[in-house]
Amino acid sequence: MATVVPTSSATAAVERALRGRRGDWKGVAFQAALLATLVTALLILTVLIGDVIRTGLPVFRERGVDFIRSDLSSFAVRAGVWQGILGSATLMIFVVAIAFPVGIGAAVYIEEYARDTRLTRLINANIRNLAGVPSIVYGLLGLAIFVKALGAVTGPDVEGRSLISAGLTLAIMVLPIVIITSAEALRAVPQSIREAGYGVGATRWEVIRSHVLPYAAPGILTGTVLSLARAMGETAPLILVGATTGFLGSNAGFFESFSERFTALPIIIFRWASLPDERFRALTAAAIMVLLAVLLLMNSVAIVLRNRYDRKW
Amino acid sequence: MTKGTRAGGILAGTLAVALLAGACSDDGSTTSGGSGGGGTGVASGEIVVSGSSTVEPISAFVAELFRESNPDVTITVEGPGTGDGFELFCGGETDISDASRPIEEEEAKACKDAGIEYVELEIALDGITVMTSPVNDAATCLNLGDLYALLGPESEGFGTWSDADALAQEVGGTGGFPDAPLDVTGPGEESGTYDAIIDLAGIEDTALDQGVSEDAAGALRPDYQSSPNDNVIIQGIEGSDSSLGWVGFAYAQNAGEGVKELEIDGGDGCVAPTFDTIADASYPLSRSLYIYVNTAKVAENAALAAYVDYYLSDEGISSVSEAGYVDLPADRLEAARSTWSGM
Amino acid sequence: MIASPIDLSGSPARHRRERLVRGAFFGAAALSVVVSAAIVASLLGRAVTFALDVEPGALWTDGWSPRRGQYDLRTIMGGTLMVTAISMVVATPLGLGAAIYLSEYAGPRARRRLKPIIEILAGIPSVVMGFFALAIVAPELVQRLWDSAPLFTLMAAGIAVGILVTPLVASIAEDAMHAVPSALREASVGLGARRMTTTLRVVVPAALSGIVAALIIGVSRAVGETMVVAMAAGGTGSAQGFLPLEPGQTMTGAMASLATGSDQVKGAELTFEAIFFVGMLLFVLTFSLNVVSERFVRRYRNRY
Repeated sequence: MATVVPTSSATAAVERALRGRRGDWKGVAFQAALLATLVTALLILTVLIGDVIRTGLPVFRERGVDFIRSDLSSFAVRAGVWQGILGSATLMIFVVAIAFPVGIGAAVYIEEYARDTRLTRLINANIRNLAGVPSIVYGLLGLAIFVKALGAVTGPDVEGRSLISAGLTLAIMVLPIVIITSAEALRAVPQSIREAGYGVGATRWEVIRSHVLPYAAPGILTGTVLSLARAMGETAPLILVGATTGFLGSNAGFFESFSERFTALPIIIFRWASLPDERFRALTAAAIMVLLAVLLLMNSVAIVLRNRYDRKW
Repeated sequence: MTKGTRAGGILAGTLAVALLAGACSDDGSTTSGGSGGGGTGVASGEIVVSGSSTVEPISAFVAELFRESNPDVTITVEGPGTGDGFELFCGGETDISDASRPIEEEEAKACKDAGIEYVELEIALDGITVMTSPVNDAATCLNLGDLYALLGPESEGFGTWSDADALAQEVGGTGGFPDAPLDVTGPGEESGTYDAIIDLAGIEDTALDQGVSEDAAGALRPDYQSSPNDNVIIQGIEGSDSSLGWVGFAYAQNAGEGVKELEIDGGDGCVAPTFDTIADASYPLSRSLYIYVNTAKVAENAALAAYVDYYLSDEGISSVSEAGYVDLPADRLEAARSTWSGM
Repeated sequence: MIASPIDLSGSPARHRRERLVRGAFFGAAALSVVVSAAIVASLLGRAVTFALDVEPGALWTDGWSPRRGQYDLRTIMGGTLMVTAISMVVATPLGLGAAIYLSEYAGPRARRRLKPIIEILAGIPSVVMGFFALAIVAPELVQRLWDSAPLFTLMAAGIAVGILVTPLVASIAEDAMHAVPSALREASVGLGARRMTTTLRVVVPAALSGIVAALIIGVSRAVGETMVVAMAAGGTGSAQGFLPLEPGQTMTGAMASLATGSDQVKGAELTFEAIFFVGMLLFVLTFSLNVVSERFVRRYRNRY
């Protein structure tokens, strides 16, 4: 990179030489204050995660993996997050199946095919604005369109408040982010790569398929895994689309569950956090531990992918 | 295939396999007990229960126990509020409506107009516990007149307890309230507990006697901190030194040391809310809890019939005390059972 | 062998495939436009219904109580304003401070160690932050500082939202400062300025549009935050006023509250439609904020 940040020793040496021996307490205080903000952020993180672990660990100590495999229950000693994990996992499948192809495809079009017209600039601006829309508005969209449309299909007991509606809603919510990160990854591909492909007579699609996409794949992959992690933690759209916050007992098979009432891990956390029973406080913390662990796993996968496949051309 | 796409493929593949494996192994996985706890047949089908947040814990317990021997039944239990529950019920969207008060005329009419027929089954007793902060020594016992003066439609704007003194004297209350801020927290209009206190404390009647218009008589003062979340209400009461609030008896039991229960004088002296005083109705703010079952759906849905059977059986009805509520006296339980079997 | 132009043109099958593929990608891009249109359309229709049917007086009455037909916009917008203001009081110093340190003071090793703090904070889901607000911020911070405060307050929610927004502000501001060419810094140091002066008098003003963009995006995020408010602000179905040390309601919390009820509530038929009206307001508000911040981002991107 072209920019070179002056090292502290060089700057300090110049400062000392120019100023003489006078101490620079204001500068030190300023630097300390800035560092303090980072320290505060670290403190907040430590307190948050520390409290969650402290409150939630006893649940795992007493019940171990049973907590993860149990269903929802009004008995605090039996309640578990399995249905939430399944629900969230199914939602992620929807997001992957819908948002990734469409999002990557849209990014490819914008970066590789589209000419720089007003229309393309409009589409770009539009996508950036969509990325900034609050998640609850996407929930409203899901409610107004998907829940309504699927009302007939899912039957009177469900009235469209199913995994399919929620999955579609989350997919649309995540779409702008996928497009933006994929577009960035594609933009980073050096033009020389493409020109090499054209030079041997390949069509645009062939160049994209054999040269551009493989080069951009790590960046695209990282971006998509990160947006998946983001979608996993979202609760507001699920509430609007009608996730069950009460009791849900179901034995539906994998594909039947798509059109049934559903729950998800963040919804369970939301529900348990508002129960007055003290024992559910520990359960809430334990459920948060599960959620954070899954998110940590996803983020680590993204980082590993980025580091392993990032090569210089 | 390049490394990038291969990595993506492996990732997706592993994810898919793991999920399918997990999903397929999830048949009937309630943890403890397994099968064999009561319930006769093995039914299958779908049941949707909604309504009162007070009755929700009972119905949820019953649903869980029922599913131990009938794992193929899908049950959802929610608690948006008695009023909301009836809206859904009379719209045909739910099979059972939980209620912490009897169905009102307008609601019954709405159901009738929509062609929904139902049966009302009493399943438990509950009380409304009126509470204040433990440091509030000035209040230990309130009578119905006091409740009207503090919470009724004419009390809008009363910022301190003593503001309500004059009105209390008028309607036969004891009065003599301290000059402390009156911080009221309680359930809102979506809640059956809201309607219940209006009914049981005779607020509507007193209001009409006082000349309040019919529309306003059946409501409480609009300017208090309302919440459908009992946790918020209890926190609200704990948070002020001279607070006033009310929740269902079972929630109050769970509230612990941070709140003080008030005795209520319904004309026969001050009575504290306990299991016994609610069971024998000596506590003035006692009420019944109901479930309303859609009879047409019972005919088509064997699982629904089995669930209600189980609800009223000895095993199922033990959920009432599990959830912290008061059991029906034996004769009333029998009456409910015979109403049900008469269907 | 010299290939003739005809040989270079390729087979028709290739061209057909090419056109197909191009069409598919175009469809994907067009979908994004469709989504925007869908959002606006779905909200607009029902929001307009509400706006036409509701009595104007109900929008300016004593408190937000949809089941009683009271749709006081002042209460919920005031609540949003209060939570957003408190959150920016938290996020601005924390976010900008962290950004300045990471950009101007931290060496590459320190950066590698400190940047993850911000990134991890950014990954905390809002429902977890809501739990944090309820479990730690409210009892340990708010109630310690202000004795008479209840557990559920707009202040507790605001502080938690501020923590949530901090990483966003920090990363955008840091980007902006990083983009300032070091030639400017070097010139400043060459004139004898110490680092604090260089930072405050040269880098920050140069990156100002980016910093402003960061703050505006932070505000937009705070306005749209739902879960923290729903869990920690007292998420009540009805609310009056928006004092910071009292429970209250925001636009987003009101929507969540309405969504967990039923479609129609006795008495007030418009209750459910209100969700779309408030949603529309929220969308317009955040959209405008984002458009404004776009302007600022373009300015600093184009400069260097």
